[in-house]
Amino acid sequence: MIQLDRLRVRVGDFELGEISFAVPQGGYALIIGPTGSGKTTLLEAVAGNARVRSGRVLLHGEDVTQLPPERRGLGFVYQSYHLFPHLSVRDNIRYGLAGGTDDGTARRAEELADLLGIAHLLDRSVRGLSGGEQQRVALARALAPRPRVLLLDEPFASVDPTTRHLLRRELRSLHEREGVTTLQVTHDFDEALRLGDLVAVLADGRIAQSGTPEAVFRYPNSAFVARFVGTGNVLAGTVHRTAGRPDGQPAGPDHAFAAQFISGPLVLEVVAEREGPMHAVIRPEDIVLARGELPGSARNRMPARIVRLERLGPVTHVHLDVGRTLLAAVTTASAEEMALAAGTGVTIAFKATAIHLV
Amino acid sequence: MTRRPSWTQLALAVLGAALVLFIVGPLLRMLLMASPASLAQAARDPEVGGSIALTVATATAATAIAAVLGVPLAYLLARRRFPGRRVVQGLIELPVVIPHPVAGIALLLFLGRRSAIGGVLADLGLEVVSHVPGIVAAMLFVSAPILVSGAREAFRSVDPKLERVARTLGDTPWRAFRRITLPLAGRGILAAAILAWARSVSEFGSIVILTYNPKVASILIFDRFTVFGLSAAIPAAVLLLMLALAVFVLVRLLQPAEQV
Repeated sequence: MIQLDRLRVRVGDFELGEISFAVPQGGYALIIGPTGSGKTTLLEAVAGNARVRSGRVLLHGEDVTQLPPERRGLGFVYQSYHLFPHLSVRDNIRYGLAGGTDDGTARRAEELADLLGIAHLLDRSVRGLSGGEQQRVALARALAPRPRVLLLDEPFASVDPTTRHLLRRELRSLHEREGVTTLQVTHDFDEALRLGDLVAVLADGRIAQSGTPEAVFRYPNSAFVARFVGTGNVLAGTVHRTAGRPDGQPAGPDHAFAAQFISGPLVLEVVAEREGPMHAVIRPEDIVLARGELPGSARNRMPARIVRLERLGPVTHVHLDVGRTLLAAVTTASAEEMALAAGTGVTIAFKATAIHLV
Repeated sequence: MTRRPSWTQLALAVLGAALVLFIVGPLLRMLLMASPASLAQAARDPEVGGSIALTVATATAATAIAAVLGVPLAYLLARRRFPGRRVVQGLIELPVVIPHPVAGIALLLFLGRRSAIGGVLADLGLEVVSHVPGIVAAMLFVSAPILVSGAREAFRSVDPKLERVARTLGDTPWRAFRRITLPLAGRGILAAAILAWARSVSEFGSIVILTYNPKVASILIFDRFTVFGLSAAIPAAVLLLMLALAVFVLVRLLQPAEQV
């Protein structure tokens, strides 16, 4: 278990904090954020490599804020692996097992090498290993001493996409097998969706939002998070009350009311909880699209012109012009069935409740 | 793909070749001047042998002292930010710009019997000026910058993240230094030490002021040249040159290929 309790860290001119965040025992959490948001600094603070100004770091309930890295029981994998260049693959993996018997350390190194598919490399020098192989050696080295906590800094950034997919799967199953509480840093929300139980979005040294990846993706709490996690359409505009509750009843204790969201020429029917300047977030999957009339009860419907089609395997992204730019996602099959093409006029529709106001 | 060199490239090559010839020419000429017989004779000359042995011994002592005092300093300069770091770095390199006789005079004033430190050392039985310790002191003064800056670059070439990884794997700072940094910087430090050693062997200007006798090789050559003339100086000069060339080859072999 990793607990960060009102943690503040300063490195040079950069200030991180206050950060409060907890990863449960055996959990897998991801810190995501753009470059310069402080992700790596946060990881270094957990590892004991960055000076903590205030707050606490607890690992499995033990306050380790004042402990040096070597007494925290961590494994750390850096983005570019940092294998020890003067040692063989085997000696890299065994590096942290110095205290054990030769027999025991040899067995542990071989066990991990087997698990990670690098047993055939054990007697090789680490020079000349491929990115994926280096990554596996670095993981084995970090896991060998059975750390309480595994810290990963952009571990898949330097490998090709195919290896990345494979490694993600292996890492996830390795995580389940070893049960080590893991905290990973990434700039890629896709990775968070695939790997994490828990995600925290970091912006300018603070946690902008945390929760399950699905919750953060579906209900971003700010335009920044929505843009960053790629929820899709983020429109700036103003909310104006039009009536009481959406079902015609006066506003109830949940404060929701029917309203219009006005963004330039675009006027959307929304369900709001307050008025004023806000951002509307609409997921591309929630926009329905047809040539001609669209059946259904969605309250927002309007004509749109297709600007560009972007085929991403089974899904096709449709860039639309409705006076504002909107992104819709349809299955590639239905895009072909409807013969969608740039310049085509279509009708789009989405529910008032599909618009998430932040 | 071969391209026809442009006129500019040709001009640059000619200028460079002139300089290379200017360095290689005199050395080659001198090597060819010395007959094997005269070299063998010089090698058997007890004064020549003794002075080369003295040179090797004092240069080794100076390098050892520079290493013991300088390698930790090099590590600090490479790894830590501390107030006055730039000043220390500058001071360490100061001897490079000081004319060597000036350094010799400064050392004479600092370590002579009449100075405070020289007096204390003499009372302890350690005569510096006109004795072997004077040679070592002069060599240390001129060669320490080479060792410190070389070792500093060697430490800098080791990614500090490697030490951090070692720390997370359970190493104390000292253990991480011993298991990771030192082995990785070792070649570079050794190369710097050999360069410093070679610099000590070649020193003349400050030693001639501090300790003329007993004579190190460079002073013996100077002495023979002034007393007996050119042809008397050549065999000993060639022997010293061969020693220097051997060291040079050793340093080249130690350096990683991409830096050569």
